[in-house]
Amino acid sequence: MSRFGRQSFIGTFLLLVASAGAVMAHRRWSQELPNYAYLSGWVLMTVMILLALYNMRKRLPFLSLGSSEAWLQVHVYAGFFTVVLFLAHLNFRMPTGWFEGTLAWLYLLVTGSGIVGLFFSRVLPRRLATRGGEVIHEKIPALRHALRQEAEALALAGSAGSVGGASSTGPYSSVIADFYLQNLHEFFRGPKYFWPHLLDSRRPLNALMRELDDVRRYLNEAERATLQKLGDLVRRKDGLDYHHSLQVTLKLWLFVHLPLTYSLMIFSVLHVIIVFAFSGGSR
Amino acid sequence: MPPTPSIVERPQRWDVAFDPAMTDADVDRLLAIPPFSNMPAEKFSKRTPLREILRNDTAIRRYRKGEIVVRQGDYGTSAFMILSGTVRVVLKPDLPPAMLGRQAPSKKGFFRMLAQLWSERRPPESFQRKQLRQDAGLGERRDENEQVRVFLQDLPRVLDKHRTEEMTAGDFFGEIAALSRMPRTSTIFTASDEAELLEIRWQGLRDLMRSDDQLRKHIDRIYRERALASYLRATPLFRHLTKEQLDELAKHVEFASYGDYDWSGDYKRLAKAGSVRPEKEPVIVQEGDYPNGVVLLRAGFARVSQKFGTGERTLNYIGAGQLFGFDEIAHNFQKPQDPVPYQYTLRAIGYTHLLIVPTRVMEQFVLPTLSQKELPALGGASSASPGGPHARLSTTAASSPSATIDGDTLEFLTANRFFNGTATMVIDLDRCTRCDDCVRACASTHDNNPRFLRHGPSSGRLMVANACMHCADPVCMIGCPTGAIHRESFAGQVVINPATCIGCKACANNCPYEAIRMVEIRDERGDFIVGEDFRPILKATKCDLCVENWGGPACERACPHGALERMNLNDLESLADWMKR
Repeated sequence: MSRFGRQSFIGTFLLLVASAGAVMAHRRWSQELPNYAYLSGWVLMTVMILLALYNMRKRLPFLSLGSSEAWLQVHVYAGFFTVVLFLAHLNFRMPTGWFEGTLAWLYLLVTGSGIVGLFFSRVLPRRLATRGGEVIHEKIPALRHALRQEAEALALAGSAGSVGGASSTGPYSSVIADFYLQNLHEFFRGPKYFWPHLLDSRRPLNALMRELDDVRRYLNEAERATLQKLGDLVRRKDGLDYHHSLQVTLKLWLFVHLPLTYSLMIFSVLHVIIVFAFSGGSR
Repeated sequence: MPPTPSIVERPQRWDVAFDPAMTDADVDRLLAIPPFSNMPAEKFSKRTPLREILRNDTAIRRYRKGEIVVRQGDYGTSAFMILSGTVRVVLKPDLPPAMLGRQAPSKKGFFRMLAQLWSERRPPESFQRKQLRQDAGLGERRDENEQVRVFLQDLPRVLDKHRTEEMTAGDFFGEIAALSRMPRTSTIFTASDEAELLEIRWQGLRDLMRSDDQLRKHIDRIYRERALASYLRATPLFRHLTKEQLDELAKHVEFASYGDYDWSGDYKRLAKAGSVRPEKEPVIVQEGDYPNGVVLLRAGFARVSQKFGTGERTLNYIGAGQLFGFDEIAHNFQKPQDPVPYQYTLRAIGYTHLLIVPTRVMEQFVLPTLSQKELPALGGASSASPGGPHARLSTTAASSPSATIDGDTLEFLTANRFFNGTATMVIDLDRCTRCDDCVRACASTHDNNPRFLRHGPSSGRLMVANACMHCADPVCMIGCPTGAIHRESFAGQVVINPATCIGCKACANNCPYEAIRMVEIRDERGDFIVGEDFRPILKATKCDLCVENWGGPACERACPHGALERMNLNDLESLADWMKR
């Protein structure tokens, strides 16, 4: 079994054992223990604090606190475990009241965003490695700008032979320049087709390439060479957009997951205070 | 109209002399003293006459009392002959690291590590004065050629505390390290008020040895006495031999060097032109030839390849301590009626220094001492391996772990010479989410200064990032005038001592992987530190493998997805395991 396979097996096994234990404990103690809600609540809170500590670990890379990979494994499986703890704490019923409802919604959003993030981190890197070359996210705007300048120079020159001078195979028309203005100007201006790229659809690129192909019939030999170069630039720009879309997604989901986590933690602390403030000595 | 070629004067070997200041009078003086006076001029080829070797491949260096000539652990490309005065070689105990311009190995304490929480706010590449202060035992001066010389301040104390041995006019030193590309084994400093030393670069030394039997025998004897015996004793293949047998073996072992000693410069040029080709690498052993000896790699690397179509495909690369040709010789020993030739071709990559144990010596001394289990399994004529009837014989090729790494990856690692790295940063692009946690961790650990770039050449899902690989053959260490770049004595990481780095760029220019950056340093307020001439002070920086931190490299520990690993790429088994993990 591979290392990752072994990790998954052990993690899943421990999760199932812990979940079964939690369900059995709930069945046995939810009726017997008068303060069961406190017990399940504190266990849930402890695991949630453990989950939140992962972010602290990331901020202290110079301390010898174990590998981030091991922390993430614990974070993922403990995160799944909280689902069982959360349901047990709710006594497998819908929460009542707006505060508890908000708290439950926050929990669901944090868990959901975590699962989506896990999915992204397992699926998107593979796709990044197969298309568009390898590019650092921060360099994308500069590379896009360079491509745009190259494309505009080609469009203005009209034909490959006339870049920086008159074409020897002219005369040439303004077809490419017009085509660029109408169809490619917007495309080269900024990142495009975020969602199609995220969904791995090549329809927008194919449509652009079809349009480029349609215009060929109006061009002479030199202009066709220019069009060919423009087509290559379109493909390269599309590759950059692909990387932009996927890399932004990989970075942005954390910006959803983390604020929600902080909100959840704040609401959870308030929840504890309210519970203790209004328990009226029942514990 | 066909393009007009640019015509230049064809480059010649001696276009740039080792020391352009060498005069006819200097050469005449050298020719008048032994051993050069005893060298018959007619034995030298017309292309490399003795006089020209002395003029172009040597330099007369003048040292003052206490100046360090060579440092233990440094890599050097030249040997020395004493012309006048005396030098002393440090025997025991070794000089402390600080006295050699190096950092004493130390780990950060808990509070120093915690202080990094707020030290991250410091300006980039800023240093405290105390970090730039040299050891009090060391002094520094510039010679007449503006070369930096480091000297020991308190010589009597050094002589009192360390056992040393004197060397006088006519003695040679540094020749083994220069010819075999091994680290210097001792530190040598000037003992007399003045000493004149003849520095001979390795190309000149090689040609002198080639044409002069006396010198060759002299260096051959020193090599066998000082280096060979201990090396053979430590080689597992010869562990069953008695001392007498080992001595006999040492007498018959041949040694040879292949390739270009200064390969890094050529490699950088060829890599930029995209013309690194295996066919241009010198052949050590040709596939199909009679196996006349077992090849032991002492230093450097070699490519194992096999004919494929009209070209050759790489099957493996081997490094220091590995064998080639043992399987074929063992097979022929066991089945003399069915002899096989060498199954693969072995080519030097860069520079390779090797030992050859002749077949008859193997058959007489070594093979009879090995048990049946230790001998490789016999390949029969019915073997269906792709390389022919005996293709599975060699442990250095087809049956090695490289067989589990695809050919493209192997070619990629070999063409880019990544096998040199003992801690190469490899990234699995199928797992890497491009989160840059590794870069942030590196910056946090190094006072807000990241020491690598998460980008580099890639093949398939394997990327080799632009970070110091802590090479087995650290060409960056050749030519450092102060010993600032050195191997950490504890775990062998290549590190730089900022206190003794003079910003000469020798290491950055030598590094074939562009892993060393020169930075303009600042003080704690963020102002640039400048010299008396108001030019900025430069320091070389690179990945130090978090040598001061507990727990290993921060980049590796910070990767949440197990996508980044610091790996010894000369150990293909680890790479194969990692790729299929």
